[in-house]
Amino acid sequence: MRKAFAWRSFSLASIFAMIGIVIVVQMARIQLSTEAAEFREEADRYKGWVENIYPARGEIYDRNGNLLAGNHSVYEVGVTLDNIENTQSVASILSSVLDLDYVDTLNAINNVDDEQIYLSLMDYASAEEVAELQRIQGDIEDDSASDEAYDSLAGVNFREHLARSYPENTIASNVIGFVNRSGRGYFGVEEKYNDLLAGVPVQVWIPADPNRVEEIPQVPDGTTLILTLDRELQARTEEILDQSLYNYGAKAGTIAIMDPRNGEILAMASTPRLDLSNYSAYDQIFDNVSEYNRAINMPYEPGSVMKILTMAAALDSGVVTPQTSYTDTGAYSVSGATIRNWDRKSWGNQDMTGCLQHSLNICLAWIAVEMGPDSFYDYMSEFGLGHPTGVDLSGEAGGRLKVPGDGDWYPIDLATNSFGQGVTATPIQMMMAASAIANDGEMVTPHILYGMLRDGQQYDFPPQTAGTPISKETANTLNEMLANSIVGEDDGATISGYRLAGKTGTAQIPTEFGWYSSDETNASFIGWGPVDDPQFMIYVWLERPTTSIWASQTAAPVFAEIAEETVRILDIPPDIIRMQYAVEQ
Amino acid sequence: MFKNISWRHFDFWLLGAVVLAIAFGVAMIDSAVAGNAELSDYPQRQAIFAALGLVVIFLIASIDYNYWLALYRPIYLVMVVLLIFLFMSARAVFGAARWFRLGAIFIQPTELAKLVVILILARYFGQTENDPRDIRWIIGSLLWTMGLTIWILLQPNLSNVIVIIVIWGVMIWMNGLRLKHLLGFAAGGIGLVIVGFPFLQEYQQQRVLTFLFPDPNATYGETYNIEQAKIAIGSGELLGKGYGQGTQVQLRFLKVRHTDFIFSGISEEFGFIGALIVIATLAFILWRCIRAAQLSQDAAGSSIAFGVAALIFFQGAVNIAVNLNIIPVSGLPLPFISYGGSGLVSLMLGIGLVESVVMRHKTMEF
Repeated sequence: MRKAFAWRSFSLASIFAMIGIVIVVQMARIQLSTEAAEFREEADRYKGWVENIYPARGEIYDRNGNLLAGNHSVYEVGVTLDNIENTQSVASILSSVLDLDYVDTLNAINNVDDEQIYLSLMDYASAEEVAELQRIQGDIEDDSASDEAYDSLAGVNFREHLARSYPENTIASNVIGFVNRSGRGYFGVEEKYNDLLAGVPVQVWIPADPNRVEEIPQVPDGTTLILTLDRELQARTEEILDQSLYNYGAKAGTIAIMDPRNGEILAMASTPRLDLSNYSAYDQIFDNVSEYNRAINMPYEPGSVMKILTMAAALDSGVVTPQTSYTDTGAYSVSGATIRNWDRKSWGNQDMTGCLQHSLNICLAWIAVEMGPDSFYDYMSEFGLGHPTGVDLSGEAGGRLKVPGDGDWYPIDLATNSFGQGVTATPIQMMMAASAIANDGEMVTPHILYGMLRDGQQYDFPPQTAGTPISKETANTLNEMLANSIVGEDDGATISGYRLAGKTGTAQIPTEFGWYSSDETNASFIGWGPVDDPQFMIYVWLERPTTSIWASQTAAPVFAEIAEETVRILDIPPDIIRMQYAVEQ
Repeated sequence: MFKNISWRHFDFWLLGAVVLAIAFGVAMIDSAVAGNAELSDYPQRQAIFAALGLVVIFLIASIDYNYWLALYRPIYLVMVVLLIFLFMSARAVFGAARWFRLGAIFIQPTELAKLVVILILARYFGQTENDPRDIRWIIGSLLWTMGLTIWILLQPNLSNVIVIIVIWGVMIWMNGLRLKHLLGFAAGGIGLVIVGFPFLQEYQQQRVLTFLFPDPNATYGETYNIEQAKIAIGSGELLGKGYGQGTQVQLRFLKVRHTDFIFSGISEEFGFIGALIVIATLAFILWRCIRAAQLSQDAAGSSIAFGVAALIFFQGAVNIAVNLNIIPVSGLPLPFISYGGSGLVSLMLGIGLVESVVMRHKTMEF
């Protein structure tokens, strides 16, 4: 090049060189400074992420291995917004298959933020619905060979996850409880054993590099629970309860069946019941949490069924014997108040069995007074009144037992408590207390968990005793008295082939103003059998029956019907056959 | 035409440096697209284009560049028609299309247009070597340039328009542009930028603004590429993480990591030293081009070499500066290294022209 232009060359080269230097300096600034370490850390953070992997929720079985609550695949249906080709067809097809509102769906898709890349339109879509959508998706793709294809489901994604399934539908729903969308259990077993069922989520580091993907570790499933419930007995119990409410015009009710030898709850029905797969209807069905499972949640004044506890205490303390005679004059004065019988009549001379058989309030009040408050309340407390049983179901309520010394206890309470008024208990409390009578004086803690399966091992739940409030002799004596009393009283609480023991209870319902309503009652029955070797205990409570206010005409026949079903389903041979078998032994 | 070819003056150092840069580029593209099935054939395609480019270098080098200068009219005409056709078809599709599809190959005429501008201007400056350096002379060169560039501006492809303006600036400077005219142009240029800014496409305005005033609340997308590039480069430190080990590259945090942001990938995997070697290689190529320009005995020949040097320098500097967050994002590739067939072959065509110039720097040989 000509010399004249050498300086031009030089100036150009200088500019090139200067820019080059700027670049190298900036490189050094970024790569060689102390800042570089921060950049490296930041880059390392991108290498992967930590993810929580949640175990499949443990399943729930009945005692015979029938699945009550399991898991099934459901789908979250959403759209990847960038991939949508035709918003209208996405909205119209999804809304028709998934039963969504077309306009709402369309608006939801159209009104997203610019930065949003994914929109969930529906969760818990069933496998059938998703299969239908995928079929439509496939059809559209096949059609798209032709140019007329205008519909498009492009952008629609399905994300599979597990949700509770209930193969038996609403059966035992009041015992099982439900699981919400974030995997937490509410009520019943689901809440009580939530931690076991949910299992332990595992934190896993997921490398982002597709070449370095390690195997995602197997997360052990949540613990599987086996309940003491018998599915068939539970189903029949619920049927009979529902039918009884209808037959007797009762407002609500509960029936529970327990094995008095070990506290296993064989059936527990309560109204109303919730469809667990549609638990959002909870608010429409229940006014109050105590209605979820009346057998454990709702204390009430049980009435005359309490008399068996009073009698047990009196026999055990030696205040009376079965042969003790009492002359019923039709009225009994305690602390200035007069106690009368249910029929306001006097029953004359009665032995203790007669007092129970005819359910004489006066007789029982006299017994309690004879015992004195100290002894009476000691026994009642021993029977577990006044505190929860500890049954392994969530939200158990304990009834109220006022004792001397409490501000609201009056001497008259001793008399009324003896026949189950002025004291509250839940059906499960009454059953636990009565288990002492049916089980040779030993009281058992009711429980619903038979065992659990974890890591391939089965762990069984050992029966737990809750004390021995009365002696074996007292228990056996009272057992006989109660068996004789229901035979003597013609109230339909007996079944053929089996001797049963039991007691009715018709309790007046205290109003919110403090006095008792005269035409509204709680009709209850507690009974067990066979008397020589009790294997089941049944508690029936019908709230406000309208065909008759008397338990003998409502709860007692229901008890008999349940007892028939129980011996059939549990395959308990009639007394004669068992006796013969015992003799042959 | 092919008679009396002497390869004695063929610059094998230049060719060697170019081959080295391309080989490094192919290796880096291979690392950048690893694991991506859609892009898995990119390294191979780049290698095929490189082989094609080598043939072009030898072919162009063996032809006296004066033949091309003599054919300037048809070359110019064909290029203008191509660009107009591209512009028209782009309008027919949507927004901006910058390439023609030829089977599986996308051809970007704009890349070739930059070489044509160099040829046309070299002819012009050769022709007017002895004319006075007045305004008419300047306007003459501008008109030739704008005849092509206007269609690129309309695409719209501002980055390449700036590349061409820089090429024109370097070439006219080396051909004796007067200082007072240069200052006038500088003032005019700054004025044009101020007046022209409102007329930029919105995305171009946005890029400039994001660069000048980084908003702490800026949304993800606006600063994403720049941030990720910075992290990639920074985490490379002195020696880099090793080939195929860059998380930013391998995990796709770096977008367009095989084209516009390949320098960030190099910096991450090979560190400061590796990036410096790449820059040194490009600087060496530049030096050999400028050397060819200085050896040339005629204005046209040296203009070609300066033009090619300007092209390589400017694209390389802009690309690296974008990666280093010195200037706003613009889509210019790193010469010889970024993926892109049209760009690579066009650049190698330019190298062929430079070789042609350097081979004939002595008019007489005995």
